[in-house]
Amino acid sequence: MSQKVTRRQFLNYSLMGVGSFMAAGMILPMGRMALDPLFQDDSEGSMITTSVTVDEITEEPMQVDFTFEQEDAWYTSEVTDFAWVYRDGNEIIAFSPVCKHLGCTVTWAADDNNPERFFCPCHNGLYEKNGENVPGTPPTGPLDQFEVGESDGFLTIGQVFPNELV
Amino acid sequence: MLYNFNDIKNLKDQLEFVDTAVIPFVSADLDEQALTHANDIELVQLVTIQLEKQFKGRIFITPAMTTVLSDTEVLKQYQKQLYDYGFKNVVILTHLNLDDEFNSIRLNQIPLQDMSSDIKFDLVNDEVKKVMKSIISIWNS
Ligand code: FES
Repeated sequence: MSQKVTRRQFLNYSLMGVGSFMAAGMILPMGRMALDPLFQDDSEGSMITTSVTVDEITEEPMQVDFTFEQEDAWYTSEVTDFAWVYRDGNEIIAFSPVCKHLGCTVTWAADDNNPERFFCPCHNGLYEKNGENVPGTPPTGPLDQFEVGESDGFLTIGQVFPNELV
Repeated sequence: MLYNFNDIKNLKDQLEFVDTAVIPFVSADLDEQALTHANDIELVQLVTIQLEKQFKGRIFITPAMTTVLSDTEVLKQYQKQLYDYGFKNVVILTHLNLDDEFNSIRLNQIPLQDMSSDIKFDLVNDEVKKVMKSIISIWNS
């Protein structure tokens, strides 16, 4: 199995945003998102408003961060995740960046040889723009989607569901 | 992957894919450097959490190993154990200056306590990117 990332891929990869960020609230509360007055999430299942307007979204997948509170048995922590979001005609598509192989974070166009695909650096997984996994690469299924919506012109993100475009 | 019940249960079968172990290694001396150590430990935690998210499917992050007086005996043993288990790479994430017998990635010392959350967030992310690059170059070598 080849796990080589070429030098160019490597440089390219290194330019990507390290978007998602998770920290237990007790360690480091993330001011930027928490202070956003547009940010409202009440209960599980509600849509989370992002700071990206629907107008900004183009056909080129972009990284959109969103923050929510996660509660487990012992403490609550603030979690920032992100989605890959783009426009397809009138529709807005949002993918979870979690690779369906073993869960690394995928990046759009990070591999020079595959400029129109999502790339996973861990074992060179590839996905088409519609999330479909490229045969011959490790992932066994397409990228999951997020529910999307709009609130006062801003993109909202909801639950994850299995890819319906493939 | 992390050192927890569910991840370890399947670890042996996944060594083909999860081929890199990462040991966070920190000092906990209560000496004149204690404040610095405290900061360093916080940074190591933050970087580790983020790293797990990015590279979950290829790295196994052990619980942080703590030392005093820069003693590396236990670290040496642990490193050997991990190689024996079947990992191809064992990487130490640390602020300490380790010998060449260890494959270490050295983190910067960032005075996190003096910073606003925004700046903290950016600096930690820079550090994470640096570590990701180092790990990718280990994979490539
Ligand atoms: S985790 Fe993405 S290809 Fe293996």
